[in-house]
Amino acid sequence: MTQPRWTIAAVLAAVIMLFCLPLMTGSNYFIGIAISGLIFLTAAAALNLVYGYAGLLSFAQLGFWGIGGYCSAIAVMDFGRSFWEGILFAGVVNLVLAIVIGIVITRTTRHAFVVVTLTFALLASLIARDWVDVTRGPLGIPGLPPPSLMGFAFNTSARFYYIALVCTLIALAFLYCLMTSRIGLVLKAIKQNDPLVESQGIQPAPYKLAAFVIAAVITGMAGAIFAFHLKIIDPSFLDFYYMQTFLIIVIIGGAGSFWAVVLAGAAMVVLPEILRFSNELRMVIYGVVLVAVMMFMPSGISGWLEDRRVAALRKALR
Amino acid sequence: MSAILTIAGLSKSFSGVHAVQNASFEVEEGSITGLIGPNGSGKSTTIDCISGFQRLDAGRVELGGRDITNFNPATVARAGLIRTFQNVRVYDSYNPLDNLLVAEASFRNLNWFDVLVRTPAFRAIRAAAEVRAHELIELVGLTRLIDAPATMLSYGQKKLLAFAAAMMARPRLIVLDEPVAGVNPTRVNEVADILRKANATGISFLIVEHNVEFINSLCHKVVVFEQGSKLIEGSPEDVRNDPRVLDAYLGIAPKTEISPAEAP
Repeated sequence: MTQPRWTIAAVLAAVIMLFCLPLMTGSNYFIGIAISGLIFLTAAAALNLVYGYAGLLSFAQLGFWGIGGYCSAIAVMDFGRSFWEGILFAGVVNLVLAIVIGIVITRTTRHAFVVVTLTFALLASLIARDWVDVTRGPLGIPGLPPPSLMGFAFNTSARFYYIALVCTLIALAFLYCLMTSRIGLVLKAIKQNDPLVESQGIQPAPYKLAAFVIAAVITGMAGAIFAFHLKIIDPSFLDFYYMQTFLIIVIIGGAGSFWAVVLAGAAMVVLPEILRFSNELRMVIYGVVLVAVMMFMPSGISGWLEDRRVAALRKALR
Repeated sequence: MSAILTIAGLSKSFSGVHAVQNASFEVEEGSITGLIGPNGSGKSTTIDCISGFQRLDAGRVELGGRDITNFNPATVARAGLIRTFQNVRVYDSYNPLDNLLVAEASFRNLNWFDVLVRTPAFRAIRAAAEVRAHELIELVGLTRLIDAPATMLSYGQKKLLAFAAAMMARPRLIVLDEPVAGVNPTRVNEVADILRKANATGISFLIVEHNVEFINSLCHKVVVFEQGSKLIEGSPEDVRNDPRVLDAYLGIAPKTEISPAEAP
């Protein structure tokens, strides 16, 4: 899809506003919402790579998210490493895991893929609860310390916000480069017509594996940062709520469209807050909006826009 | 003339049913060869076997003297054999240009770093590929629809787009599975002209088709399949006049009962 010319200006304005956000509000509550929103958006954008582009509906994202969170917490609390090394550790563990799992399951059929990734996510949550020696079981690991860098402690919400913001921007910039490159073009081709891709001399397996592994690493690192935002990690970190959030953002935005998913991510964070004027009906209205979008835009915002474009083109060609 | 494609003793069964049995034939370099036969005579299975989508039970496939037996589809394509599909396959959400750019062969030499960072080497290849894609889109007459997702194209236009994509992959041999089935009869001659033009640039063709007129007007040689084996092969005239072909394929030989199931 071609982008409007004002895209760069809009992105710059959004980035400047995001950097100024802590100056505009002193409310730790709003900053906290913004931090969660940024991290969820990163995880959703990673899911968009594996689901929206490669066409692999991966529930394993939830597992990678949780493993990332636990790895960073354990690295800091048990191994005495820094927060930054913890994030790196989370990335490396997920990289290795995703390669091992991915080599096998990117060769399976789509249904088997869904089932295996779902099982992986359930297994991860089982380990979080039952491998008490490492994860401390249902009690979890509380009291995660605030990150610090060269003597500067990120010990307030506003300071931590900048960690989330910079990491999110780096991850999104990387994903944008990847998705708009020829690799993104081939990935979406694989999603649309696997045998045709093969018949044109391209092996689909390495592309699928790369999408799966990159999404796993980004999701794991996002989970690592989120754990330190909560300052505690326990088995509820692997609650299906998180997977559902990532999936809703991708589906509402439109699987396979970078900007639409970013915008949907922002909307999904802002919307429940706007609806706060009526506390009783808040979640009901939220649900109605979701259902309405599903009914009237079954392929998300980007799919709806594409339909409009095609309709206009049909008219022009007649 | 030497053979670009050699098939020797190809056999393939599906749970006891012999789809193809000990079939052998050749496609001469630079020629257009037709492959005809009644439904179920093993033509599609043969294509699937030589393009790597089915494993052979026995036999040997060579492309330009190089053994490509049981190579996977992508490796067969890289060796220079590109096929199209009977149920036309294109990337539905992509416009014709993107459809062709996916297929472009010269990107294969680049590593992922070049592609991701868009190095000068990548940009040079991309620019050349776009020029070539526009030429091919013009050749198949889709220039007007260059911004339209392929899902907007008619069935016949999709077949032409699939053919252009096959050309884009820089093949030595293109295997077409029913290129004019379902195409508007008034446009069949246009398709034949496009294929002749491509053939003139040195690309060999193997064409499976039920449209006998189309095959006769286009092909240098015709191979006839019946019940999983080669019946005969020869020039279009020889094949047209052979009583065994009339019997097996057209089902109209004198003194033979006509079976409706075998009518074309």
